[in-house]
Amino acid sequence: MAERTPRIDVAGLVFRVGGLAAAGRAWVEERYGPFLSRRAPTFGVQVRVSERYRPGRMPRPSAAWHDGRFALASHPSRADGDLARRRVAFRAGPGPALNPDLFRLLCSFLLMQKGGVLIHASAVVDGSGAWVFSGPSGSGKTTIAGLAGDRVVLNDETIALRPAPRGWRACATPFYGSGGPSMARVNDSAPVRGLCFLRKSSRFAHRRLTPTEVVSRAFPEVMLPKRDARVAERLLATLASLGAAVPAWELAFTPDPAIWSYLDGLD
Amino acid sequence: MDSTESFPLRKSVPWRTLDTEALVVDVKGGLLYPLNSVGARIWDLCDGARSVDEIVGVIADEFAAPETTIRTDAIEFIERLADAKLISIERRRQGESR
Repeated sequence: MAERTPRIDVAGLVFRVGGLAAAGRAWVEERYGPFLSRRAPTFGVQVRVSERYRPGRMPRPSAAWHDGRFALASHPSRADGDLARRRVAFRAGPGPALNPDLFRLLCSFLLMQKGGVLIHASAVVDGSGAWVFSGPSGSGKTTIAGLAGDRVVLNDETIALRPAPRGWRACATPFYGSGGPSMARVNDSAPVRGLCFLRKSSRFAHRRLTPTEVVSRAFPEVMLPKRDARVAERLLATLASLGAAVPAWELAFTPDPAIWSYLDGLD
Repeated sequence: MDSTESFPLRKSVPWRTLDTEALVVDVKGGLLYPLNSVGARIWDLCDGARSVDEIVGVIADEFAAPETTIRTDAIEFIERLADAKLISIERRRQGESR
C-alpha cells in the first residue's frame, strides 16, 4: 500500500509535503494534525535533509523574490520555490522535518502573493466575526486568547488575514505561541470584525486608528523579513487595502472577561 | 545645505502615500517611517530637481508657519532622510532649477 503524503491546509493554501521519512511524516502529522487536509494541493513541498548543524552566529531570516522564483531562509533551513510551477524545495537542517519557522515564512510569503498577510496576532471568534489582536511579544495576545471562554480561538500568535469578496477574513494557523498547541486546535476562519493593536493597562480604553496608523502598526507585525524592496512594496499595498477596509483601534485592556462586552461597544 | 544641492529619492526605497500622509520603508533595516502631512509633502518635493530653498518656499505657501521655522525643520528632516539613506544629496548641474 502506498504511504500517505501529508497535506496541510493553512488559510486555503494546501501544501502536499513529500520527501519525508516515516518518522518525519509522523512528526508532521502530529504537529500539524488539525490542519491536515484532503483538499487538492495548491503547492508541492519536497523536503530534503541536506544541511548539517553549523555552529556560529545565526543569520537573520530572509525572503527574496525575483522573476517568479523565491528563496526563503530561516536558519538552519531554507526553501527555494517557483511560483508558476507551484513547487518548493525545502532543505531542512537538523531538527523538525518541517521546520515550523520556515514553514511559517513560506505560508506568509505565499499568502502575500494572494493579497493577504500572516500577522503576529491572536484572534477570537465572537458573534458575527473575529476580533484580531495584534502587537509585539508581551502585549497580551495570548492573555486575550485565554479569556475566550467557549468562543473559538483561531490562534494566540499567528493569524492569516485574507481579502474575501465581502471584506477580510481571519484564518486560523498552526503556528501557536506561548499558549501551546491548544491555541491551534481548529482550522477555521471568520470575517474580521475589528483589528486591535494591544497595550496592557489597568483599565479598558480605545482609540480608533487612521488607515495610515493601521499600516504603520501592522507592518512590523507581518511575519516576513522586509529587507527585499519588492516584498516591502507588496506589503505596503496589502496593508493599505486592509487599513481602508477593516476598522482598527488601539486597545488598552486589563485581563478581564468583560473585554467581550467592551469590544461590542467600540465605535 | 545650500541652493546648489538637490535631493533625489533612492530608487530602491518602497513608499506609499495614504491620503495626505506617507509611509517609507528602509529596506536595509526593515523599518517603516510614517510621515505626517508636512513630511509627506517634503518627501514628494524631493524630486532630484528642487533645492532646499524651493522646497521651503512651497511648504511656506501651503502650510501656516513662519518660514524660518519651516526652513529649520525642513533641513533637519531632509538630513534625517539622507542619514537613513532614503534620499541622496547631490550637487545640481549648473543652471538647473525649476
